Amino acid sequence: MVYKEANTPIHRMNAMPKIIWAITILILSLIFDNPVVLILLFVATIPPAVFGKIIKEWSFFVKFGLFFIPVIVLLNIAFNHNGEHILYSLGYDLPFFGSPVITLEALFYGIMMGVRLLVILSAFAIITVSVHPDDILMLMLKMKVPYKSVLIVSLSSRFIPTLLSDVETITDVQRTRGLELDRGSIIKRIKNRFPVLVPLLANSLERSVEIAEAMEARAFGENKKRTFYKELKLSNADKLVSVFIFSTLLVGIIARFLGYGIYEYYPVLSPIELESIILGVLLFSMLVIPYVSVWITYNSSEPLAHGGHQ
Amino acid sequence: MNRECGEGIVLTEGLHFTYSGSQTPALVDVSIAIDEGEFVLLAGPSGSGKSTLARCLNGLVPHFHGGKFGGRVVVCGLDTREATVAELARHVGFVFQDPENQLVSMEVEREIAFGLENIGLPKDVIGKRIEEALDTVGILHLRKKHPKELSGGEKQRVAIASVLALHPNVLVLDEPTSELDPQGAEDVLKVVERLNDELGITVILIEHRLDRVMHLVDRVIVMNRGRIIADGEPREVMRDERLRETGTEIPPVVDLTLKVMEHYEPDVLRDGFKIPLTVKEGRKILRPLFRRVNGVGWKPKTHHQTGKIVISIENVWFGYEYDQPILKGVSLNVRKGEFVALLGRNASGKTTLLKHLIGLNIPSKGRVVVCGLDTREATVAELARHVGFVFQNPNDHLIADTVFEEVAFPLKSMGYDNIEERVKEVLKLLKLERYRDCYPRSLSGGEKQRVAIASVLAFKPEILILDEPTRGLDFSLKEYIMKILDGYRKNGRTVIYSTHDVETAARHGDRAVIMSEGKIVIDDEKHKGLANALLFSPQINRMIQSFRRYGVPEEILTVEEALEVIDIGLRRGGR
Repeated sequence: MVYKEANTPIHRMNAMPKIIWAITILILSLIFDNPVVLILLFVATIPPAVFGKIIKEWSFFVKFGLFFIPVIVLLNIAFNHNGEHILYSLGYDLPFFGSPVITLEALFYGIMMGVRLLVILSAFAIITVSVHPDDILMLMLKMKVPYKSVLIVSLSSRFIPTLLSDVETITDVQRTRGLELDRGSIIKRIKNRFPVLVPLLANSLERSVEIAEAMEARAFGENKKRTFYKELKLSNADKLVSVFIFSTLLVGIIARFLGYGIYEYYPVLSPIELESIILGVLLFSMLVIPYVSVWITYNSSEPLAHGGHQ
Repeated sequence: MNRECGEGIVLTEGLHFTYSGSQTPALVDVSIAIDEGEFVLLAGPSGSGKSTLARCLNGLVPHFHGGKFGGRVVVCGLDTREATVAELARHVGFVFQDPENQLVSMEVEREIAFGLENIGLPKDVIGKRIEEALDTVGILHLRKKHPKELSGGEKQRVAIASVLALHPNVLVLDEPTSELDPQGAEDVLKVVERLNDELGITVILIEHRLDRVMHLVDRVIVMNRGRIIADGEPREVMRDERLRETGTEIPPVVDLTLKVMEHYEPDVLRDGFKIPLTVKEGRKILRPLFRRVNGVGWKPKTHHQTGKIVISIENVWFGYEYDQPILKGVSLNVRKGEFVALLGRNASGKTTLLKHLIGLNIPSKGRVVVCGLDTREATVAELARHVGFVFQNPNDHLIADTVFEEVAFPLKSMGYDNIEERVKEVLKLLKLERYRDCYPRSLSGGEKQRVAIASVLAFKPEILILDEPTRGLDFSLKEYIMKILDGYRKNGRTVIYSTHDVETAARHGDRAVIMSEGKIVIDDEKHKGLANALLFSPQINRMIQSFRRYGVPEEILTVEEALEVIDIGLRRGGR
């Protein structure tokens, strides 16, 4: 589930507004626990997935989130006994847990926390699938992050697939040598991983020396000022869109300070207020407008053949 | 190109080098002078100092790898002790052995830009040079690819393009093909040949397989134990006895010609002959000889095993993804005592098939029964008691602090007793006794491979599987390992190995299975299987194919077999 080159309005959109968009959604989903706002934030992540034709990859992340919701809900109802509407009560004491009760409020709160997770996963799924990793690095450079730090990030992501296939092969090798990974107590199981870890670390060390050699052989470390072949270009339109998206974040933060969109789960679920619905719809439309507008512009102009970045 | 360098573009004078922490010198008194535009092959066994010499040329030795350095290296007028590696990088392009570890970017274009950015070229120049490099190497179609989407041969060509963009005068390639399949190797060597021919770039190439490059190069330098022992034109060096003594693989056609010259009067060969370097030249030079060898009643020695079937693969289909099968209906039976070579290009399904034999892969359809165990039911650990598996990269095996513990590890985890004795025995067999207490990872590639094999042989599996056991090894080591395997199967055990190397398969083992695109296309006794195929015939057989009309048996695969036939023919036919 990684970036794939495609010629859609979403892929061609500049990385900067997209990343600001994802960060905005992340922060908004963390400062609001209002069910209406959370659900609308999730819905706001669907249009880019549709316009970008990345539903298949996106749903992989969302399914991953859906898998976790029951876990979050279970943990919440097991440990959180606030709330007045008791759905189930065990009736006697358990060690550690006290007298467990399951309340409607705790159940609902658990579900909403699951939705919050979905919102975050969904927004970052769109970034992962539609933004070229190099664009993220170029954005870092644009924000004056030192080149060597960017290079380290770049090298790590470059060699993640290599590392993963290393893990797979070494696990296979050690299994054929009689190693049984999933046998015995937890401590035994952790110990069982050592024969995989040792060659993995040693291989990675040897690899890093070879990479360093190859980089030096191509003039890395020359004192002269380094140039950059590709830089993230920002058109005025890109800047405008970025500012617009950023203002969504400001609207959200101000609204939160003024006390809008606050929601009480305990002791009883508070009613949904009209104000929070208006706030939710406002944030939703501000987050969706940039994508809708690029999509409309794209479809009304001649489709161009060139790729998504540079 | 930088034009300031004239003749004598690469000079070394009395070069000595000893790596820090090592007792034995890696280079001893190396003096060479290479002219601009020369195509030089650097040959010699593993550990003879070839890679070290190559790294002296771009300053990695002594700037990156420290040690005791003596003498002088001058490349394009720059003394490598004074110039930095970065400065030298503009003059010397270096391509490494491992295709994976020299690509640092997530896109081919950016990969080529990397060096140019480092030397601070302006953007528009970088753009121009990228186009130029992509075009010269013939990889325009790969420009947007991520390295993980590329094959080994493609990665090496990207690596070549990325150093070519710096406009070097000299290109140094350290075994660029040793990890590639024959097709990938050929693609890479074609590019190198063109760079030398058409752009006049000086090329210094390290390569074990002389038959691939002999006819391309102007000059061969042979190294052994850190010294230069021969230096001259290919045909000249081929006749040099010292080359053979280093254990280098002499191309079979050359080997045959030399042996014929040694055993018979020169008049059996064509007048004014020279040493043939290709199949085409071999046919021309050896034709008069083989014309006299008509219709001999020679039959190849074949072993037919009649033991019980120990591996039975029935119509196996397999794929990691549902709609992309890697194995498409493979069936194969192997008997006790057989020695089977599994050949095929990369991604033809060899490794995938081998992994089925120990339960690492489970067929999606069909079944695999090994030593009476159905792999769908038995665990890997259960199968591992009967099947030993040696993987491609010995580094993935090595986990212990000493060679002894390494070999003892599987014995312990499988609960064997008298471990001490078993380890001793197998270390002796593989001549590893003196490394008993060494750290396995500090050993050379060939020694590591032997340790990996030892750790599997220690528990004496009924079936031994090896995935490309000879990859990257030099000739004498290859022969040594194949002999060990042959000895092992003579004890009534079964050996299966995969390889790209047709010559090795022709010399050893008795059965050849060739895979292509997930299917078995040939499965026969090796003389029948490897003869008369275009890609998978050994060199001698490809030459003999044109002599069939004189009645020369078409099943000849090796130099020894060809000599037997000549011997019978000449004795019977008389002179």
